[in-house]
Amino acid sequence: MRLEHWSYILPLRLRSLFRHREVERELDEEIEYHLEKRIDAEKAKGLSAEDARYAALRAMDGMTQRKEECRQARGISAVESTMQDIRYGLRVLGKSPGFTAVAALSLALGIGANTAIFSLINAVMLRTLPVQNPEQLRVLGVTRGPDLEYGFTYNHYRQFREHNQSFQDLAASSPVRLSVSVDGQVEPAVAGQMVSGGYFSVLGVNAEVGRTIGAQDDRVPKGHPVAMISDGFWKRRFARDPGAIGRRILLDGAPFTVIGVTPPGFFGIDVGTAPDVWVSIMMQPVVMPDAEDWLGKPIKTDYWLRIVGRLKPGLSPAMALAEMEVLYRRYAVPDDDVQPKDKIGLAPASRGLSALRREFSEPLLILMTVVGLVLLIACANVASLLLARATARQSELAVRLAIGAGRGRLVRQLLVESLMLAALGGICGILLAYWGSEALLSFISRGRAAIALSLRPDPQVLGFTAAVSAITGILFGIAPALRATRLDLGPSLKSRFQAGGATRGPRLGNVLVIGQVALSLVLLIVAGLFVRSLAKLNGQDAGFPRESVLVMRVEPRGSDQRNLPGVSARLDGIYRGLLERVRAIPGVRAASMAGVNPTTLVTLHLAMKKPSTGELLRVNDIAVYPGYFSTLGIPFLAGRDFTADDFAVSARPAAVINESAARKLFPGENAAGKELRSEKPSRLFQVIGVVRDSHYSNLRGETQALAYLPFLLTPTGRGQMTLHVRIAGNPGAVAPLVQKAVQEIDKDAPLLEVRTLAAEVDAALMQERVIATLSSFFGAVALALAVVGLYGLMAFAVVRRSGEIGIRMAIGAQRRDVLWMVLRDTLALVGVGIAIGVPVALVAMRLASSRISGLLFGLSSGDPVAIGVAVVVMAMAAAVAGYLPARRAARVDPMVVLRNE
Amino acid sequence: MSKPSDLVQGTLDLLILKILALEPLNGWSIGERLRQVSSDVLHVSDGSLYPALHKLEQGGWIASEWKPSENNRRAKFYSLTKLGRSQLEKETADWTRLSRAISHVVKLKEA
Repeated sequence: MRLEHWSYILPLRLRSLFRHREVERELDEEIEYHLEKRIDAEKAKGLSAEDARYAALRAMDGMTQRKEECRQARGISAVESTMQDIRYGLRVLGKSPGFTAVAALSLALGIGANTAIFSLINAVMLRTLPVQNPEQLRVLGVTRGPDLEYGFTYNHYRQFREHNQSFQDLAASSPVRLSVSVDGQVEPAVAGQMVSGGYFSVLGVNAEVGRTIGAQDDRVPKGHPVAMISDGFWKRRFARDPGAIGRRILLDGAPFTVIGVTPPGFFGIDVGTAPDVWVSIMMQPVVMPDAEDWLGKPIKTDYWLRIVGRLKPGLSPAMALAEMEVLYRRYAVPDDDVQPKDKIGLAPASRGLSALRREFSEPLLILMTVVGLVLLIACANVASLLLARATARQSELAVRLAIGAGRGRLVRQLLVESLMLAALGGICGILLAYWGSEALLSFISRGRAAIALSLRPDPQVLGFTAAVSAITGILFGIAPALRATRLDLGPSLKSRFQAGGATRGPRLGNVLVIGQVALSLVLLIVAGLFVRSLAKLNGQDAGFPRESVLVMRVEPRGSDQRNLPGVSARLDGIYRGLLERVRAIPGVRAASMAGVNPTTLVTLHLAMKKPSTGELLRVNDIAVYPGYFSTLGIPFLAGRDFTADDFAVSARPAAVINESAARKLFPGENAAGKELRSEKPSRLFQVIGVVRDSHYSNLRGETQALAYLPFLLTPTGRGQMTLHVRIAGNPGAVAPLVQKAVQEIDKDAPLLEVRTLAAEVDAALMQERVIATLSSFFGAVALALAVVGLYGLMAFAVVRRSGEIGIRMAIGAQRRDVLWMVLRDTLALVGVGIAIGVPVALVAMRLASSRISGLLFGLSSGDPVAIGVAVVVMAMAAAVAGYLPARRAARVDPMVVLRNE
Repeated sequence: MSKPSDLVQGTLDLLILKILALEPLNGWSIGERLRQVSSDVLHVSDGSLYPALHKLEQGGWIASEWKPSENNRRAKFYSLTKLGRSQLEKETADWTRLSRAISHVVKLKEA
């Protein structure tokens, strides 16, 4: 019955929608036929032709309304009239291109900023992995310290895989950097992944060409020299030649055979990376010759493997967790370094893993709030523009109301116009956002490995923008539309040709401008706080400008295979020679080397025995050469620096520890001169000095217990070092000489960049810098929008009040009085805005810093400098915005105005 | 000319359906026929006829077709659909019940 019903009416509806004109013509013809019949009938009663026609029309009882009723019966009049509204709106917007452009630009800035930040949030935090049924994936983790970590030993992976009953299968992977050479030609180092045999089947990903790494490639250590390449690498290096399958390539010097290509867009489970080469985990010792053999019995525990799996159907994650917890302990070997307090965790892996997420989710959420406020300001801005225009359009609206348009219909018409503006703003916004988010990403990527994120607008992003635009359109459109259609017809029509017209409306305008001022002041204060916080972080200084310290990685050939016999001694010789050479360069004050860059957290650690209790504590160790502390300006609290004698092979092992390590290992004692024993390898050190915690390795005030050891005494496969050089004068003059000295030790070593410590710190403070820079940028945008809004309101007020001003001047007011009168109004609005904005900013920042630890460094959320500067900037900008209309008001010629009145 | 309110609320649809059940007609003739068969009692106003027809057509109860009328003028003729016929039966039954009830009430003897 229902279906039959629709089979009748659907063609009718479609016809009236798409054959609109024909249907309208038929309606006219039908009515006309009726009218003629009626006229004939009336004539037959003896009426004249003219009277008969009148009578016929009267009988129709309102022809237009009747036709409209027929249209409504068609049930699509809403669609039709909306299309009418759109056509009309296009005409209206087209007629005032200046207004349209300003409004669309305001909106494009607001919507674009929101889309840009959202597309980053989407890429980093929301998007699911391009694999089969990503929602079923779980990643195993373990809480060893404060956070859930996703690393396990090879032993654990193997035991889990063999003994668990909870997962369909488990797969392991680990990132690796690879130097690739094809046909004897060395490529720039690429990102790679070592994966277990079940990796691709667990993820449900097939090879685009060739085959994936499978169980047959995961049997014998070092026995499976096969590799998959990414679609990107295939295109870049082999021009998508199917003949690439079966080719031999060298990975870190070892021959591998290409067996397949991964599908486009596939990157594994690490969001933000773009691996180009996949090899079997069995090849770890081959592709990581610098590291230990993690498959066998490593000296140091290394949690290198990520483990993902799919739960068996119907199994609850809690049950799986309980089982893994048992297996974690039952099959642990001493090398797994399982601690009693360790706890296994199981996290959904549908959106992959990402270091970026941890690092940038808070900054992105802060920025999202900031751009949300910018959009709100843009809304208020456009709303006040619309309001001013509605006043100008009052006579048009009054006429339409008078000839019978319903208020609802007019409100709808005006809302359609706002939505069209919003759509225009949204479209421009998407373009802005695409460009903006790429720029943002490259800004974040500066000074680190490139972040590979696809920022192409996907349905989520487009949906977000569409929703934001629609909400925006209604938000800024509804109040002016309601206001504009609430009219007293009489006065409006009467004053049609008088300048100004009705004086209603400024109240709402004031509110909107006050809102803009308050919100942009909030943004300015927030930006000021972030900038000051960054300055404080930057300002913890060592007593010399950071530009005067040069930092450069040094990686002579073989330095990544320090564990091979003789390599350490050879490297030590190279490094000592290099230091001598560098110290001889004119302009060099001090030079030394250390295992890591000054701002990098030290991740290598040794187990050190706490002498008072015998407890084993983890202390991070870092290889250095003499002079390191004076080069970086790290002061000694007790004892002395290394000398050349401490580096002699026969010397007694010496260590310098920092105050955090001293507190941990020797609580309440003077550590200098004490002895300290390490485990694995077991060695007795003498603590020769205690230094203050470095400003640079703990920029945000976290502390790390550090032991500085002579290069030869650090037990690691990594022999690459970082050269630190303090210079006098211009870095530009000395840096090339340093670079040349480094090159001379090994002609084939990769040429690495010389950076200043200032650049290093900048890179390390990326998060803070991104927030400070972007919030300042958006603060400036907000300020500009508010100033434009203020200027618009005052300029409009001056035009509206020109009659009054003319009269005032005619009866003796001076230009100065008029100037001051307008300026006073402006400052009153701004004053109210400031009075609202400051407390809002205070409360907001207090709330935010209580939620996010370390949001502000070294200052309170009520920092008077940030607030003061923001208020002054706001007031000055407002004064300029008010001065221009005020000056125009003061120039009003009373004669001209009075004549017009 | 009678106003639409002169017709009992909702009966216009029923009347149109019934008239069209007899034979397909154009809008003008529907009004005329209704007047004739009701012996000049029932008048449908020109204004309310066409919205009602369009509503019935969109409801799927009547269908329309352009056909030549007298002296070869084209006119829109409406006819009852299958759906309309069952609707007519339903409305007729409703009407009969209602009118019987009303006449029963108005014929009650006053005490």
